[in-house]
Amino acid sequence: MRITCPLCGTRDRREFYYYGDAVYADRPDAGAVPEAWNDYLHLRDNPAGETRDLWYHEMGCSSWIEVTRNTVTHAILGTRLVSERNSRRDKFVYQEGDLREIKPQATKPEPKGTEE
Amino acid sequence: MRYSGFKVIAEGLGGNKGWKPAWRDPDPKPEYDIIIIGGGGHGLSTAYYLAKNHGLTNIAVLEKGYLGGGNVGRNTTIVRANYFLPGNQEFYSHSLKLWEGLESELNYNVMHSQRGLINLFHSDGQRDAFARRGNAMINQGDDAELLDREGVRRLLPYLDFEQTRFPIYGGLLHRRGGSARHDAVAWGYARGADRRGVDLIQNCEVTGIDIQDGRVTGVQTTRGAIRAKKVGIIVAGRSGQVAAMAGMRLPVESHILQAFVTEGLKPVIDHVVSFGMGHFYISQSDKGGLVFGGDLDFYASYAARGNLPMVEHVMEAGMTLMPMIGKAKVLRSWGGIMDMTPDGSPIIDRTHIDGLFIDCGWNYGGFKAVPASGWCMAHLMATGESHEVARRFRLDRFVTGHLLDEEGTGSQHNLH
Amino acid sequence: MARLIEKTPCEALLPVTCGALTLRELVGDRVTSVAPLRGQKTKLAAALKKLGLAWPEPNRVIAKDRASITWTGRDQAFLIGADPDTLAGLAALTDQTDGWARIRLEGPGAADVLARLVPLDLRAFAPGQAARSQLGHMMMILISPAPGIFDIMVFRSMAATAVHELHHAMKALAARAAV
Ligand SMILES: Cc1cc2nc3c(=O)[nH]c(=O)nc-3n(C[C@H](O)[C@H](O)[C@H](O)COP(=O)(O)OP(=O)(O)OC[C@H]3O[C@@H](n4cnc5c(N)ncnc54)[C@H](O)[C@@H]3O)c2cc1C
Ligand SMILES: [Zn+2]
Repeated sequence: MRITCPLCGTRDRREFYYYGDAVYADRPDAGAVPEAWNDYLHLRDNPAGETRDLWYHEMGCSSWIEVTRNTVTHAILGTRLVSERNSRRDKFVYQEGDLREIKPQATKPEPKGTEE
Repeated sequence: MRYSGFKVIAEGLGGNKGWKPAWRDPDPKPEYDIIIIGGGGHGLSTAYYLAKNHGLTNIAVLEKGYLGGGNVGRNTTIVRANYFLPGNQEFYSHSLKLWEGLESELNYNVMHSQRGLINLFHSDGQRDAFARRGNAMINQGDDAELLDREGVRRLLPYLDFEQTRFPIYGGLLHRRGGSARHDAVAWGYARGADRRGVDLIQNCEVTGIDIQDGRVTGVQTTRGAIRAKKVGIIVAGRSGQVAAMAGMRLPVESHILQAFVTEGLKPVIDHVVSFGMGHFYISQSDKGGLVFGGDLDFYASYAARGNLPMVEHVMEAGMTLMPMIGKAKVLRSWGGIMDMTPDGSPIIDRTHIDGLFIDCGWNYGGFKAVPASGWCMAHLMATGESHEVARRFRLDRFVTGHLLDEEGTGSQHNLH
Repeated sequence: MARLIEKTPCEALLPVTCGALTLRELVGDRVTSVAPLRGQKTKLAAALKKLGLAWPEPNRVIAKDRASITWTGRDQAFLIGADPDTLAGLAALTDQTDGWARIRLEGPGAADVLARLVPLDLRAFAPGQAARSQLGHMMMILISPAPGIFDIMVFRSMAATAVHELHHAMKALAARAAV
C-alpha cells in the first residue's frame, strides 16, 4: 500500500501512522452529552468500501493527512492535509436541552495575521 | 462406529467412497424460533448450547460462505485464561474449563493441547506487572507460575537471552494454556448442533433484518426471507455491516490480523511462546509447521490479506527472539478480519430492538472464547438474562464508562 | 568546574570504507530550523535571498557555497552552514546543531546501499532533491548535494545505530558483489 502525502508525494505505507476514522478530527464541544462523546470516541460506520481516515506522516514531514480509501481493495482514492479538511463538527451538535450544565468554554478569537 | 482406525484403512483401500457428510445440508425453512447469523466458532457454539443446555432446536445458523471459513479457521489457536480484569477473568476461566471437557462433550478430536503458554517479560516493571497478573489468575482459580530467567532457559533454551533491546528477565507460565486445531472446533460444534436438529445453512448471506414496531421479525437472505422472533448477530469482522442492517452503529472497527506458517519441521518448540514487546507469538502445530503471528496491520480493512511492513515486522521480531527459526521457510501467510472494540473486550448483549441480540468485539482473542461465548450467548438468547460470567460485556458500557481495557491503551480501536 | 570533552555524534564510529564506498561524518556546520512567522514569508524570502538562498519547495534543497536550506516539513526548513541571525524576527529559529548526526555516503552503488534501508526509489534522486523518510526504523533527512552523494541526518542519539545499519548494508552489498 502506498499513500500520497500532499506535501511529500507518494510514499510507502510504513512511513505513516494510522490513527482512525476521520471523525477524530471532529471533536465535540466540551459540554456535549455523554452520547456525543460515545459517538465520537467509540461508534464507527466501519464501512466495507470507501472510508476516510486520519494518517500521520510520522517518518516523513509530520503532517496529519485525511485519506480517502477503499477498505476492501486497499486502493487509495485521495488525500488532503487535515488542515484543509472541512470540519463536520455539526455532526455532534445536539438538540438544545440535550446539553448538560457545563457550558462550552468561550474560545478566544484567533489572532488575525496577514498571511500572504 | 462412524470413525475408527479400521474404517480409515478400509476406506483407504476402497477409494474413500464410503464417507458420509458429517452434517446435513438442509434448505432453509420459512420460519424458525431462533436464527443465528454467522457460522463461525461463536455462531456454531451458540446454536449447540441453545440445543444442549436449553432444549431449543428449531434453530437455523445462516452462513454466507462455508462453515469455518472465517476467523475460526484462520487464527493461531492460542487458548488461555490469563486475563487480569474482573469481567474478563471469570469469563475466560469458564471458557478454559469448557475447553478441558470439550472433546468428550463433542466426541470430536479438536486436538486441544495444554502444552503451556509462556509470556516473556523484559524489565523489572514488566515482571511486577506479570507477578500481579499471575496472582490475579491464581485468585480466579486458574494456574500461573512466575519464572525467572533460568526458569525460562530450562524450558526454552533456544531463545536469544542476551538481545540488547529486550533481554529476557523471565516469563509467566500458564501450564493449562495451549492450542487446538481451529477448524476442528467449528466442525465439532457443527456436528453436535446438527445432530440435535439445528439447521446449518451455508451459502446463505443475510442481506437485511426485518423489524416491526421495535421487534425483530426475521431476516432477508440470498436464499429468501426467513422469519424468526429471535435473531443473534454473531459475525465477527462483519459485525458493523450486519448491525447496520438493523440501523445500529457499533463500537467496532474492522482490522486485519495476519498469520504465518512454515514448512513442517521436527518438534522443536514445545510450548506457546509469547513475546509481547516484539508483538510476536509462536507455537508448533502437530503437523510440524511453526505457526506464528504478530500485531494488526493497524488500519481499518476488510481485505483478508495484509501488507508487507507487518510481515517484515513479524519476521524481525521472530529473528530477534529465536534466531534458530531463521532458516525455516514460510509456506503461507493469510489474514482475518478482526472486530476491534475501543477497550479490547467483547460484547454479548441484547440490542435496543426486541429479540435482536449481538455477540461481537472479539478482537484477536476470540478463538479461546468460542465455548464460553456460545454458552453465554445461548443463555442470554434463551432466558433473556445475561449469564453471570458475561454480565460486564454490555453494549452500553461505552456510554456509561464501564470499560474493560485489559491493556490500558485507551479508546482507540486498533491499539488493543 | 568539570571540564567536558566535546565529542562529535559519530566520534570513533566513522569513517568507514567498503570497497569504493565511503561513509564519513560531516561536522562543524551550524544547523538551524527555520519556521516562518505568520505573515513574514515575503520578508523571509528576501532575507534568504541575501544569503544566496530561497525558501525551498517540499523535497528540495537549495545550496550556495557552504550554505544550504532543506525543506523538512510543513512550514519548516533546516538552514545548514549559515548564520541565521539575519532571519531573526521573520521566523522561529531553533539551534539544532548538536541534535543531529550528519553522515555522508559516497561512491558507486551508494543508492543500492540505501535501497536496503530506505523506502524510496533513489535511482533518480538528483542534486537539489531532499526527502524526509526513514532509515531502517529511524527518522531521517536525506539530501542529495551532488551526483552519487547522499547526506543523511538522523537524531544524534541514534548515530551508532545508523552507522551500524549503513555499514552492515555496505558490507552486505560488497559481499554480494563478490559472489
Ligand atoms: C490471524 C488470526 C490469529 C488469531 N489468533 C487467535 C489466537 O491465537 N487465540 C484466540 O483466542 N483468538 C485468535 N484470533 C481471533 C479469533 O479467530 C476470532 O476472534 C474468532 O474466531 C471470531 O469469532 P468467530 O469464530 O465466530 O468468527 P468467524 O469465523 O469469522 O465467523 C463469522 C462468520 O459470519 C459469517 N458472516 C458474515 N457476514 C454474514 C452475513 N451477512 N450473513 C451470513 N453470514 C455472515 C462469516 O462468513 C463468518 O463465517 C485470531 C484471528 C486471526 C484472524
Ligand atoms: Zn509528508
